[in-house]
Order: sequence, then structure tokens, then C-alpha cells
Amino acid sequence: MTVRLKGTERDVVTIRWIPKYTVIERVGHWLHTATFVPLAITGLILYVPLFQSLAQGQAGHFVRLVHRATAILFGLLPILYFIIEPRRFIMSIREFMFDRDDIGWVLNAFSYYLLGRHTAMPPQGRFNTGEKMNGLIMCVTWVVLGVTGLVMWFSKGAVPAELFHWMVLIHDVTMIVAVAMFLVHLYLAVAHPLMWAGLVSMRFGVTSAAYAAEHHAKWYYGPKRARQLYEEAKKKAASEAGH
Amino acid sequence: MAKGMLIDVTKCMGCRGCQVACKEWNDLPAETTACLGCYDNPEDLSPITWNRVEFYEYEKDGQVNWFFRPVRCMHCLDAPCVKVCPTGALYKHELGFTAYDESLCNGCGYCTQFCPFDVPRLKETTFLGKGKSSKCTFCQDRVPAGQVPACAKTCPPGAIQFGEREDLLGKAQARLDYLHNGAPRPFPEAVLYNPSGVGGTAMMYILPEDNPGRFSLPEAPSGATANVWQKIVQPLGEVALGATVLGVIAAFFITRRNIRMEEVE
Repeated sequence: MTVRLKGTERDVVTIRWIPKYTVIERVGHWLHTATFVPLAITGLILYVPLFQSLAQGQAGHFVRLVHRATAILFGLLPILYFIIEPRRFIMSIREFMFDRDDIGWVLNAFSYYLLGRHTAMPPQGRFNTGEKMNGLIMCVTWVVLGVTGLVMWFSKGAVPAELFHWMVLIHDVTMIVAVAMFLVHLYLAVAHPLMWAGLVSMRFGVTSAAYAAEHHAKWYYGPKRARQLYEEAKKKAASEAGH
Repeated sequence: MAKGMLIDVTKCMGCRGCQVACKEWNDLPAETTACLGCYDNPEDLSPITWNRVEFYEYEKDGQVNWFFRPVRCMHCLDAPCVKVCPTGALYKHELGFTAYDESLCNGCGYCTQFCPFDVPRLKETTFLGKGKSSKCTFCQDRVPAGQVPACAKTCPPGAIQFGEREDLLGKAQARLDYLHNGAPRPFPEAVLYNPSGVGGTAMMYILPEDNPGRFSLPEAPSGATANVWQKIVQPLGEVALGATVLGVIAAFFITRRNIRMEEVE
């Protein structure tokens, strides 16, 4: 939105900020990052033969120790979030539910993220489909990595070897999914030109009203109004294309 | 060339000379043990017992049988422990046995879980998981120097033979022919235990009957899950993560060409 500066000929852009994340959510997010990254690095040292020299002897023992110590905090974070802000926790989970607009989002995601065409994007809630998929994968991998990791840590020899083997295999496959998802998340947050607002929200807890209206219409306007605006925009785009 | 050992259970007399020689050469201390109500002593393999004689007493066809088997690393030719070892501490020696460099071990213990014969033991199993693995090394400090492993060197009845693995396979066949027909006490069911599921073993046994379970050996040991890890999951993971990195970089350049920052709200 532009506003004429009083007594001058100049326009200035004003940004209206609306709250998106609480302090706890932001601290939690960054602690999640600060634990996930060392976990991924130490895990990959044991996983990728190229890094074998770092996995050997005392260094390797230190790597394993860091992996497990970090895993404790990584595992506790979502639980702490639930204990400290149970209502926000449940609200966030609710906002991660999928609906029919997600199909339209997925169908148009390619042209939107690569080509920047966004008229066809169906209205999104506080989290868009991609964020919801990321969230779902993070929840599932958190559970699977936790369960398999605990078995590998504490049940060596106590559970049948066959079960242990599968824990290792599942832990590794899940890690691949989680790290791949993390790389995409990192790219969208840090490098994608349209996604500048994400880092601002995660740092200051707010998002611009204009950004929210465009990217999270169902959250900003409510579902009914958002759908109405979306249909209008689609009609307008269609008639423009017709002429 | 690939070395091997052929251990003849029909010859072994349970003297435990190999157990003592192993301890002596490898500088492994004695264990404090208890009487278990049988001749087995100590009870199990341990970080300081890489070789122990197991006793098998059973009745078959109205006759009492009493056999003895020195239990130690089988030195699988296609060793699952080597596949899952993230450090290279366990490796296949050019002479065919599974060698071990303790200084490289980080104590992860995967070898203890993936060994189909339940052989490697961790030195300690504390919360911090510091204990390094340990197992029979095929006298890796003797064999490359042209010497015979301590256990084979000491074995009084010659039940443990050491040599070229190919030669030993021939000797095993000759011995089986003898046991099946010519022996004063014949063993018509005697077999060679050299399981193919792990690519054969450098440590081979002649068993008095075709019943490995009776001699606490697995019927069909396999490194299947270690193979799945090494041949599928591991390379697939590298490809998947590599592809993701490349995909993200490609997406970045495509996006930058198509989206003009000046138009972004």
C-alpha cells in the first residue's frame, strides 16, 4: 500500500504487519534447525563412505556421541512445545489438515514456483500445501527416526538381530526423506525470490498483510471471502485471455 | 592366495589347546568364570575370549555322542560385518580372512548385530557406547608373515588345519570320503560346513552329521539385510540426496530467470 507523505509530493510504501508465530514457536523452530543440522551431518558421516575418515576411532566415537546427545533435544522439542503452548500446538496441528484446495495447489505448484505464475493458485490457509506436506513429513520422520533410533541406542542385543537390521534400514531411509525435505525447505526459505516473507516471519514473528492476503488468503480473509476473490480473479484472467 | 582353516569336529578332542594358544599369542587375559554344570568354559565368547571350545553331548541311535567345536569368527568371504562397518576397521584382507584394525573402530556395534554367527563382542556396553569391537583376527599378525595361526599350530590331534583354501577344500572332500566309507568308526552323514549364504567361509568345519543346529551353527546364515543396506539403501540414499541438491540448484536458476524481483510484492 502506498501513502502520500504529508506536505510532500512523495509516496512511501507502508507495510502492515500481522502476527504469525509466537516467541516459543520461533525459538522452537530455530532449536529444531540447530539440532536437525548437526544430526544430519553426524549421521551422514556414518552413512556416506566418502566421510569414512571422520567416522574412525576417537573422532568417530565423538561423532556418535554428538549424534545421540543432539537427538535427545531434537526428540524433546515438539513435546516441550506441547507442554508450554498446548493451545497453539493444537491450533497448528489443525491448520495442517489438508482440503480440496491442496489438489489445485499441487497441480499449479510447478508453474508457480519455477515460472512465477500465481493467478491459478487456489487460496491457502495459514500454511500452504507445501508447508503442510513439509510439516507432515517432519512429524512422520520425527516419530520414525525417534523410535528406530531409540531401539538402535538402547536395545542392541536385547532385541532380535533381524529387528535391529530393520531399524537401521528404516532409520536410514527416513533420514534420506527428512534431509531431502530439509534441503527443499532451506531453498524455499533462503533462496526463492517469492518466499522472502518466510524468514521474516520466523525471525520477527510477523508477516506483511499484503503477503498474507496474496499467499494465505483463507487465513487473511476467511475461507468464504477468499474463495469469492479467487473465483473473481479466475474469471477476470479468463476474460482477459479471451480478448 | 586365499588362506583358510579346516576344523574337523570328528577329530577335535576338546583339549582347549587352541583356546590357550589364542589367549597367549593375542595377549588376552584369563577370565573369572563359574562352573556352568557342563564342560563349557568360559560361558561365551567375549572381548578377551576370541576362541572357545563348545561341548555337545547327545544320544543318537542308542549311542552317546560327544563332540567339540572351537567357536570363533568364521571369516565369511562375503562378510556382512565388513559391509556395515562404517569405519573400515573390519576389512577383507588380501589373504581372504576378515581382518580388524581396532584403532579405527568407533564402537558403533553394527558388526555385533549383523554377524550371522553372533561372533564380535563390544568391549563395554555402556550408555555412551565407547566399547570397541573385538573378535578372532585369523592371527592377522602371523599369517601375512608366513606363519601358521596360533590355534592351528598348537592343535594336538591336527583337527585344525591351516593352508590354501582351495587345497583345504580338496582335503575336506578326501576326509569326507574317508569318513563316509573307510573310517574304523564311520560317519556316513559327515558334511563340510561352508555356507554359501555368506559366500563361503575361510573357517570351514567338518561336522559329524548334516545338522549344523546341533553344533550351534545356523542352518542358512545370510548377509541379506547387510546386502540390502550396502547395495540398495546406501547408494540410493546418495543418489536421492545428490539429486535433491542438484534439483534445488537447477530450480534456483530457472526461477531466477523467470521471476523479476521488481514485480514481487
